Amino acid sequence: MASVHESLYFNPMMTNGVVHANVFGIKDWVTPYKISVLSLLYEMTTSKIALQEKRRLNKLILPLQQGPDLQLGQFLKTVEDCCPQTAFAVKIRLNEMADGELKDMEFFFTTLPNPTFDSEAYKTSVVGLFIRHMLLAYNKLSFSQVYKLYKSLQHYYHVYDAKPVDGQMGVPTFVADDSDMDLTSTEVTIGDKMERELDSPLYASVELNQISRGPLSQKQAEYFLAKQAYLLKNDDNKALRPAKLQEELNNMLKFNPDFAEAHYLNYLNSMRVQDIYISTHSLLHYFDRLILSGSEGKSNGDEGYGRSLRYAALNLASLHCRFGHYQLADLALQEAIRIAQESNDHVCLQHCLSWLYTLEQMKGSDSSVLTEDSVKMAAHFCLPYLASLGIQSLVQQGAVQGKSAHELMDALKDTDILHWKHSLSELIEISLAQTISIWRMYGKSTMAQQQAQLLLNMSSLEPVNFGVTQNNTEAFAVALCHLAELHAEQGLYGGTTEIFKHLKEQFPPHTQHAKLWMLCDLKIQFEKHMNDGKYHLAQPLVPAIRAQNKTEGLYRKAQVLKSLSRTTEAYRILQKLQVHCEKTRCTETIIRVLLSTAELHWESSDFSTGLPLLLQALTLSRKHHLQALASRTLLHLAFTQLMLGVPEQALSVLHEALEPILAHGGIMDKGRALMLAARCQMALVATRHSLTVAIHTLDEAASYFSTLNCKERLRDVRYLQARLHSSLGQTAQRNRCAMLFHLLDRELQTPRAPTDMRL
Amino acid sequence: CLITPNLKMAALCSEFGDLVQIKKQLISVISLCKERGLVHSVKWASELAFALDPLPKDELPPSHLVSEEDVQDLDAFALAKSYFDLKEYDRAAYFLRGCHSKKAYFLYMYSRYLSGEKKKDDETVDSLGPLEKGQVRNEALRELRVELSKKHRAGELDGFTLYLYGVVLRKLDLLKEAVEVFVEATHTLPLHWGSWLELCNLVTNIEMLKSLSLPSCWIKDFFMAHIYTELQMIPGALQKYQSLIEAGFSKSTYIISQIAVAYHNIRDIDQALALFNELREQDPYRIENMDTFSNLLYVKSMKPELSYLAHNLVEIDKYRVETCCVIGNYYSLRSQHEKAALYFQRALKLNPRCLGAWTLMGHEYMEMKNTSAAIQAYRHAIEVNKRDYRAWYGLGQTYEILKMPFYCLYYYRKAHQLRPNDSRMLVALGECYEKLSQQVEAKKCYWRAFSVGDVEKMALLKLAKLQEQLTETDEAAQSYIIYIQEIFSCGEQLEHVEVSTALRYLGQYYFKNKLYDEASLCAQRCCDYNDAREEGKALLRQISQVRDQTETPSGELFVSLSDNNTPIKRVSPLNLSSFTP
Repeated sequence: MASVHESLYFNPMMTNGVVHANVFGIKDWVTPYKISVLSLLYEMTTSKIALQEKRRLNKLILPLQQGPDLQLGQFLKTVEDCCPQTAFAVKIRLNEMADGELKDMEFFFTTLPNPTFDSEAYKTSVVGLFIRHMLLAYNKLSFSQVYKLYKSLQHYYHVYDAKPVDGQMGVPTFVADDSDMDLTSTEVTIGDKMERELDSPLYASVELNQISRGPLSQKQAEYFLAKQAYLLKNDDNKALRPAKLQEELNNMLKFNPDFAEAHYLNYLNSMRVQDIYISTHSLLHYFDRLILSGSEGKSNGDEGYGRSLRYAALNLASLHCRFGHYQLADLALQEAIRIAQESNDHVCLQHCLSWLYTLEQMKGSDSSVLTEDSVKMAAHFCLPYLASLGIQSLVQQGAVQGKSAHELMDALKDTDILHWKHSLSELIEISLAQTISIWRMYGKSTMAQQQAQLLLNMSSLEPVNFGVTQNNTEAFAVALCHLAELHAEQGLYGGTTEIFKHLKEQFPPHTQHAKLWMLCDLKIQFEKHMNDGKYHLAQPLVPAIRAQNKTEGLYRKAQVLKSLSRTTEAYRILQKLQVHCEKTRCTETIIRVLLSTAELHWESSDFSTGLPLLLQALTLSRKHHLQALASRTLLHLAFTQLMLGVPEQALSVLHEALEPILAHGGIMDKGRALMLAARCQMALVATRHSLTVAIHTLDEAASYFSTLNCKERLRDVRYLQARLHSSLGQTAQRNRCAMLFHLLDRELQTPRAPTDMRL
Repeated sequence: CLITPNLKMAALCSEFGDLVQIKKQLISVISLCKERGLVHSVKWASELAFALDPLPKDELPPSHLVSEEDVQDLDAFALAKSYFDLKEYDRAAYFLRGCHSKKAYFLYMYSRYLSGEKKKDDETVDSLGPLEKGQVRNEALRELRVELSKKHRAGELDGFTLYLYGVVLRKLDLLKEAVEVFVEATHTLPLHWGSWLELCNLVTNIEMLKSLSLPSCWIKDFFMAHIYTELQMIPGALQKYQSLIEAGFSKSTYIISQIAVAYHNIRDIDQALALFNELREQDPYRIENMDTFSNLLYVKSMKPELSYLAHNLVEIDKYRVETCCVIGNYYSLRSQHEKAALYFQRALKLNPRCLGAWTLMGHEYMEMKNTSAAIQAYRHAIEVNKRDYRAWYGLGQTYEILKMPFYCLYYYRKAHQLRPNDSRMLVALGECYEKLSQQVEAKKCYWRAFSVGDVEKMALLKLAKLQEQLTETDEAAQSYIIYIQEIFSCGEQLEHVEVSTALRYLGQYYFKNKLYDEASLCAQRCCDYNDAREEGKALLRQISQVRDQTETPSGELFVSLSDNNTPIKRVSPLNLSSFTP
């Protein structure tokens, strides 16, 4: 291990015992690539070029000069696109030098236009400065250095020359033609396969060196890091695989242990694979390094390393938070707060505060007071990002606590204005995602769908780098999950599958937000199986759901048990769940639990006991504006009333719910509502007209159930229809319905549950 | 090279019983290594041979067993060897290229390797800009590897070439393969210390060590002892070295120095100092390990001795890493930290891999309150050797000074991981936890620190104070009792203030529990200390007052008190009476 570094510490930049973190202070060293650029400049000044082409070349100079070193092939290609004639001239010139002798290169440098006198490249212009830098750097080289430069120029040229012209980007061919490799391959006899296999680690390392030889220069390394970091942030599928990236970074750090940013990228990378050891290690290492580089500033002031200390502690807190170590996160956060307070760093304190309420929220305690404080302070210190993040968090809490809709929407609208003003694209996305969730919670599926489409079709405000737009944020995951659920509700399982396919690609299972779609997928599958009556398929999903979300898992378990008529167990679980949810104030689940409990009472024909529960659920859902749940509760109430023998009342209650259900509800709810309506009509005084209407209603319900392929309910519908037709004396239709019923019954093979016992 | 198999056989069958045999083997291996220019192994073997009794004339091993090939290559080899000794490696290799004997082949390959290394070092100074510096490699390595691996597969490598092959593999970072090759090398030629030493550097943990199949030879004991020291398994190492001394190597300076270093590692300062002094007497011009010696002198604050050592070493050779470290320590002891840092830097310039210097430099910067430079120095130390617990500990201390107790937990934990039985890390961890108000963890740390043998005797006191804060009165009393026992049993009174604190607390405690005999005993003891005298007297007065009022038998109370379940509590409070302050 140690031997790797031994050459590194003979460091001319070491003063005062401190190796300056940026050993690359001097960036202008003559490299073969720089010589190519110089020869391009030379050609441009000496030869006659058409104005059009000259203009294109001029545009090219700056990126070529400031960009990372390119391979000769790439370089010539870029020049060729602008002016083939110049590219050819450059190539000839390089060829002269590479195939000639050392003196050709020396000659080239003496003939370079000297910008001090030359008019074409003014001495303080970008080009003039560049040429002067290069000349200076070249003149400073010692004898052996000049020779080495020449050698590397030859290598640079011959690598390009030996390569087929079209394979400019092909790394494998590049490796195969590399002169280093020739050494080994000539030594090894051709049939010696063993050798190759044995040598594979060596080959791998050679290959790696070849690839990473580029990133090793300062600018290339920076470019590499910037690109990978950008990709990690925006679309980590396009970034290097975690293992590969780690390898690259290790390689980079091996040659330059002072490159602190690489440690940070290492931290991000290991966060991807949830590796707490390496991520902690890299994070701390990064800050240790950062502290050094910042040490020139004031010792404890705003710019000094005191600042990075504070943020080091804060980052550590966020790391523990990510891994769910709330206690440790809390300690780290307290530390960050304390240091920030000591040095009066309000900005850092604000960041700490916003983490503090996030942490509180994650721990499940009420943090609205803290959040409000945070928002106020952030606004005071002009930190729009933190302020609107706080407002969003408040909105979320408000929504759960049942604040009125217009307040929430107003708040979101206000923050939106702020976001657009400061172009905080991430927050815009979050805000849209939040709107989707709120609409969904209120049961307005159309609005939710519309907002989801808006988010997905919105073009990001961030500049598009490396051909990647940002679309792997949590907001996108949330929106897509909602969309999937909305599709599933309408029975459009094809669409759902498509969405999940996309989600799987965009958020592979190991990534941070993958849990969102996993749970969503499981829930949809579960619902589907339950609707189909395939309880044995739904049951194995319960542990999986439970692993993702305990409360949800328990609820689902209760549902399965209820369907399997294991009433006592189901009841016990529901009771437990209700207590738990009342503690965590999870209103939606409470309502659903209440409904399920009422259904359990129905099973034992105990309709009146369910009534208070249903009324409680109704109050709760109305209080929290949860329309979908409220309509479902009304449905349950109507059914109870029907069962208790007051169909008139039931029908009037039902009419209240019917409209919102038909407008916003899922297809299952629609079918159930219509079937219930028909049964109420049947139970009422039977006029011929009302019976006909009931038949039609049932037809409609049947069409809903058949889209869901919910055969059990379809069978019920057919039975009812047959009876209606019978009472109307329409024998032919009755027989048809009876036959349909019979077919379904044979197919299902399970004895029919008493129709009147369930909703 | 016909000797090698004979040697191997001899080495395998002889245990320590026959020192004469060992001496013979050493003499032959010395000449073998010398011919091949392996100077360090020659030095090691010679030192060991010197420690054994001289052989009578007729028992000396035959100096040369010359094969046909050797005779053919004789002249070329002699020429090349002379060039090799003059560090003209390329030239040596050139004249050896046609030779066929194994000896010549080794020197041929070794010259090529060394030439590559030399060029690499020269390149580093003279490179094309800093970017390229990281890429400077020994270009010869890859060729050497290809050639050697071919021969290796054909089974044509002898012990020395195997060693070289291993070195090449290690330099190419192919550590796994390197270990295999070195193990093979030790089997082929067990007496070559170089292979064992390389193995020492490659074995990182005890499991790995156990998985290796090594030849059973007397030299293996030296290896085991060495690697135990490396892996911080000091008791095992000491035991091994002791048995080696008993086996007849008592005069070996190598063993003495190794034992001294081992004692240094477990902070047994007096033993280590004694050994180093002995070493200095036997080998006055020795520079190796003197940095460790100076560390010990530093810890003991023995200024004159350190100053003498420093001046002596400067006279011998002032451009040695060890000398610079000693001078650095000397300045540090005189609180001239800038100068100290300067000398550590010089040491690093001489040998950048000298990790002790990095750590020591970190300490100096800490003294100068230059925390950022300190962090950097420690980080460098860790980069050179990840197992350097002192650097991790130093990093922890730095962050503790910066008032970041949570942040430094990570570093202390790392240090603790590396030295699980070192109480200093545990106490440091405990203090951090205490600052973070994690009393449960803090108590665990302190108790553990006491259990592993507390060096500074502070853990129990801290534990007791913590328990006092948490109003766990019984536990606190027990801790104080053990603390006092510890302090008095080690003979010297380290800190009067703290003992008096303990006594004061115990007095009050017994008084509250109506154990008046014990309370008065404590109070009397309190009176021996200035700062607690008044309180002691006051307590005595109170006791006599209460005694006058009621005559309570204290026996039952005491029984009920000590009838608890944790192990600390079983110590009878009455033990106090046996103390002699």
